[in-house]
Amino acid sequence: MDFQAALALGLPLGIGIAAIGSGIGLGLIGQGAMTAIGRQPEATAKIQLAMIIIAALAEALTIYAFVTMFLLKGGIAG
Amino acid sequence: MGLELLARVRRTSLWVGGIAALVTATYAVPLHGLAVALGAAWSLVNLVLLERLIVALTGADRRTFSATGRAIAALGGILALFAAGWLLLLRFPAVPLMAGFAIPYTVMVLKAASLLVLPTQAWQRFTRTPWPAVAVVVVLAAGAWAVNNVWSGARSGGRETRVAATQESGTHGTEAAPTPAAGEGAAAKHGSEAKEVGPEKFANVITVLSRAFPQAPWAHFLHHYEVVIFSLFIALMLCVVAMIATRNPQMIPGPLQNGAEMVVERLYDFIVGILGPRHGPRHVPFLGTLFVYILAMNVFGLIPFMESPTSSLNVTVALALIVFLYSQYIGFRELGVLGWVDHMAGNPRSAIGWGLVPIMLPIHLMGELAKPISLACRLFGNIFGEDMLLVAFASLGITVLAFTHLPIGLPLQLPFLFLALLTSILQALVFTVLSTIYLLLMLPHDEHPHEGEAYAHAH
Repeated sequence: MDFQAALALGLPLGIGIAAIGSGIGLGLIGQGAMTAIGRQPEATAKIQLAMIIIAALAEALTIYAFVTMFLLKGGIAG
Repeated sequence: MGLELLARVRRTSLWVGGIAALVTATYAVPLHGLAVALGAAWSLVNLVLLERLIVALTGADRRTFSATGRAIAALGGILALFAAGWLLLLRFPAVPLMAGFAIPYTVMVLKAASLLVLPTQAWQRFTRTPWPAVAVVVVLAAGAWAVNNVWSGARSGGRETRVAATQESGTHGTEAAPTPAAGEGAAAKHGSEAKEVGPEKFANVITVLSRAFPQAPWAHFLHHYEVVIFSLFIALMLCVVAMIATRNPQMIPGPLQNGAEMVVERLYDFIVGILGPRHGPRHVPFLGTLFVYILAMNVFGLIPFMESPTSSLNVTVALALIVFLYSQYIGFRELGVLGWVDHMAGNPRSAIGWGLVPIMLPIHLMGELAKPISLACRLFGNIFGEDMLLVAFASLGITVLAFTHLPIGLPLQLPFLFLALLTSILQALVFTVLSTIYLLLMLPHDEHPHEGEAYAHAH
């Protein structure tokens, strides 16, 4: 397998793996936030703010994979 | 008065010298930039020493022993400085060194001239309304643009002839194997062209214009700087809206003033809610502008024939760098240099804390550097990915109806426009919130003593 085929296989796979991790993370964050809001509805605004920040951090990992794909995409064409 | 003017000259020429050195190092030769910086530094030190000498010789206490000592020290410093200047002249190119050397004197002359000009009648008449100054700036910018075009045209022409010359000499040199080399060259050229086009995206006004006029230099200029032009246009638009909304404030506001007030109020509450009432209000203008500007740039790409500048990494890196520099500046100003180092070392107050400093310091420093990178990549990746998604589904819709041979397509991207709207708002919010949090981490932490006490009592 030459490096172009390896890239063409690896880049989408990389995004997929990163997306699995982010998805699990986002699910846990959402679960925690929803539980917290259900227990304490008056703190909804604070919890939502923290949830958005942490969700952004978790989501960023997939974005890094995405950016990496676009940086390396030129290598596939050779 | 004189000494105060000198201090201002020192500050200004420090900035001007630094900027000139950076510009020279970036756009010309790096060594020349260093030479400019060294020349400016030499000249500044020279000025300081001269000032000390003169103050020591002519001050009120000039007969005393200490003043004589200071004068002798300044003289010795000047002699050492001349030796250093001689070494610099031997080591570095003379012209940029002289240019750097001239910077403080130029600043001094200009400042003195401004002292003469500012109180005159003509200047006061000129600055009564902002429009003459705006006109002058516009004329200057247009002139600079024209000169730059002419100059770059002449230079690129020269470069083409040079390239042709080298190609000629190259073919002469490698006549033994001409065909494969030529084929490779053509392939490489083709590849670089394809890379320059970049990923597929929606046509915007500027790409349409540059395709309509492929030869015109202004169209090329527009195409080359389309991101800058779009972001400047958005900034201008926001400025105009803000000016119109606040030009004639009423007690019972009209719709525009009402909307602007609502936005400002919500942003104020939001940011002060995070940063606290002591530090918050000062940072509302910066962070709120950041939010509004990023939101406008994100949403701008959803307008047909427009492009969101944030789908270019250049813009997001610039925004993240601004946030980085701002938060570091605030950190230095609020904590002081030692306090900043202490903060970076994790505020060691106990034996364990001091023991952990060698680990904490690099971790914190790397974290500080990672913040702007993650900010920029997050914004760019989200907006760019959203645009790519729209393009992919739009081209899918065109492909579906390709058998009709009509210039129509199914609007398959329609549901994703709403997703894009959501992402735009969310990413602007996330960028602002994270910037605020980074700023909060920089500020002194003695914010919530009552909450801390309540927390301690509760447990």
